[in-house]
Amino acid sequence: MSDVIEKLKQAVIDGDAEAVYKFSAEAIESGAAPLEILEMGISEGAKIVGEQFERMDIFLTELMLSGEAMMAGLDVVLPHIQAGDVPRRGKIVVGTVRGDIHEIGKNILKSLFVANGFEVSDIGVDVPTSKFVEEAEKIGADVIAISALMTSTIGGQKDVIDYLEQTGNRNKFIIMVGGGPTNQDWADEIGADGFAETAPEAVRVATQLIEKRRG
Amino acid sequence: MIPITEIAKRALDGKPLIEKEYDMRVFSPRVRELVKEYGISYDSDVLVPSDDGLADAVFKAAFDLICDVGVYCKDTERIIAFEEKEVRKELKTSYDHAVLGEGMEQRTLIPRKPDSKEKPWIFAGAGGVTVSDESIFMRLVENYAKRIPIANAITTPCLLSVDGAHIRAKSPLEIEGSIRTVVLGREALRRAGRPGLPIMNAIGTAESAIALASGLHPDFGLRKTDGYMIAELAELKTDLDLLNRAALLQSLNVPIAGIFGPIYGGFAGGAEGTAVTSTAFHIQGILTYGASWTLCFPIHIKYTSSSSPELIWLASLYAQAVSRNTRVPALYYNYTAAGPCTEMVLQEFAAEFIAAISSGASIETGGVAKGKYFDYLTPIEPMFASEVAYASAGIKRSDANEIVKKIVPKFIDKVPDPPRGKRFQDCCDSLTGEPSKECFGIYEEVKKQVSDLGIEFLY
Repeated sequence: MSDVIEKLKQAVIDGDAEAVYKFSAEAIESGAAPLEILEMGISEGAKIVGEQFERMDIFLTELMLSGEAMMAGLDVVLPHIQAGDVPRRGKIVVGTVRGDIHEIGKNILKSLFVANGFEVSDIGVDVPTSKFVEEAEKIGADVIAISALMTSTIGGQKDVIDYLEQTGNRNKFIIMVGGGPTNQDWADEIGADGFAETAPEAVRVATQLIEKRRG
Repeated sequence: MIPITEIAKRALDGKPLIEKEYDMRVFSPRVRELVKEYGISYDSDVLVPSDDGLADAVFKAAFDLICDVGVYCKDTERIIAFEEKEVRKELKTSYDHAVLGEGMEQRTLIPRKPDSKEKPWIFAGAGGVTVSDESIFMRLVENYAKRIPIANAITTPCLLSVDGAHIRAKSPLEIEGSIRTVVLGREALRRAGRPGLPIMNAIGTAESAIALASGLHPDFGLRKTDGYMIAELAELKTDLDLLNRAALLQSLNVPIAGIFGPIYGGFAGGAEGTAVTSTAFHIQGILTYGASWTLCFPIHIKYTSSSSPELIWLASLYAQAVSRNTRVPALYYNYTAAGPCTEMVLQEFAAEFIAAISSGASIETGGVAKGKYFDYLTPIEPMFASEVAYASAGIKRSDANEIVKKIVPKFIDKVPDPPRGKRFQDCCDSLTGEPSKECFGIYEEVKKQVSDLGIEFLY
């Protein structure tokens, strides 16, 4: 691995977006293979950050700064990569249901999905039911990940599933639920495909569900 | 007290800032700087510190934090800023008590101090955890009131559904659920022979301000001597809906609590930053809502419980910081990893409450099994938790530290994958709410374990 790619990896770990942008550009200019820059620099750095967060060696701010840094690198490198060259991990829509303004759990989830190479569309908090479906259709999502933190709002997770069923679109997407009062029993009751108690677990479950669906 | 209209003006006219910038480039780095500046450091060997200087350093850091970064209003995307002089004045002139309950149950909630023999305020019950059925709600609340004579106030469960329909925030189902929570809670306390007990989490089922306002009508049974909680959002945030509650509740002249769940591993960082943030949240409640009591419930970002050593340390230090330096009573609430009818859940309560009480807090019995599972509640857990909290008054912090360090190893390895325990339906009589012999056996066993470590129970 070239020195600049090693520096790029470290800059992702450090959450230094400016440095990531600079080293990504330098790596491209030096003639390094774009796929190598992506996999050995950006993705490897993001993987290490994800592991550090899971061990609680780093905390949410560092995780999110690394996520931002990674995006800065992708802006430079992706235009040099042919579609189909990058192994596609999956596309995810994440959001918190209507009536619920809690977002930290969703933000952690987003950061870890990004760190693990997923394409993520974050549609925010207090999201109307139809918006989850509309966004999933728009980006061709594999997974809709629905967060809710309150007892009085988790019904919104069921609303999204019901909406998909009643519009004949239920099988288009993998539905995952998570957040404070949700659990596997609830996921089973409302017909979700997956539940995870933590963000790292959500990444693992989403990966498994996508792989299973793709056969 | 700063008038709510003044807070609203600042929320509307304050410095504009994108929320993400506030989180990552204002709040988070300033917490980190202050932890370093004040030399605050977590020590895994001392879960209940006895160092007053350390507690005061946490308070000073929290004071600086709120003066430096303010409180963020999510709706207006602006900073509600506070002057240092103003914060000092508010802390010196804040409420120093709250009168709660009626008739024979009327008591005054007052602040405690570290190592104090003053008995803690016992706010006992479900901790707002959800039940699927109104009869379970009734049986639980009746049993809390009957089985916990030292309870000063009751925390009711929340309702999951109304007539079989899942409650949705801001819908008529939420309004009806909120009203039922009040009516059922009051009736259950009457049936238990303690109609004057205050409900301090009024109205647990109300997520929106409109649901709170609806349930407040006197016809439904809430009183001015019940407790009224207003959430503070992680970290150091509020929104207009929450400020609306403050506007309503202040005009009604009722005891308002600022309640907050700082996240260990979140934007505050590790144990040190989360201790500082917890303390700053206490100040935020006084400044933004005119709180006469506060409630802190720290959460581990990974385990979503609060019994890990780092969280016990930060809870102890936060309690010391606020009780030594402010006049407003501080309550601590925990999230156990384990569920009902397990030894672990009682051991978690013992470790956390011995630490919190010796450090100057009072308590609300917390969310069992992380508050995640519907119906995972019995009367046993708040009963044991209340008894251990009551018995911990007067224990010196240094002694509490030794006791807590002997309890934590009994459960710490199970925190990542805790036993879920049993549902109410599986271990309590459905007609009376009487816990099973198994539940009582576990209760007696853990009570003996804790007694053997030097805790003298009242009964």
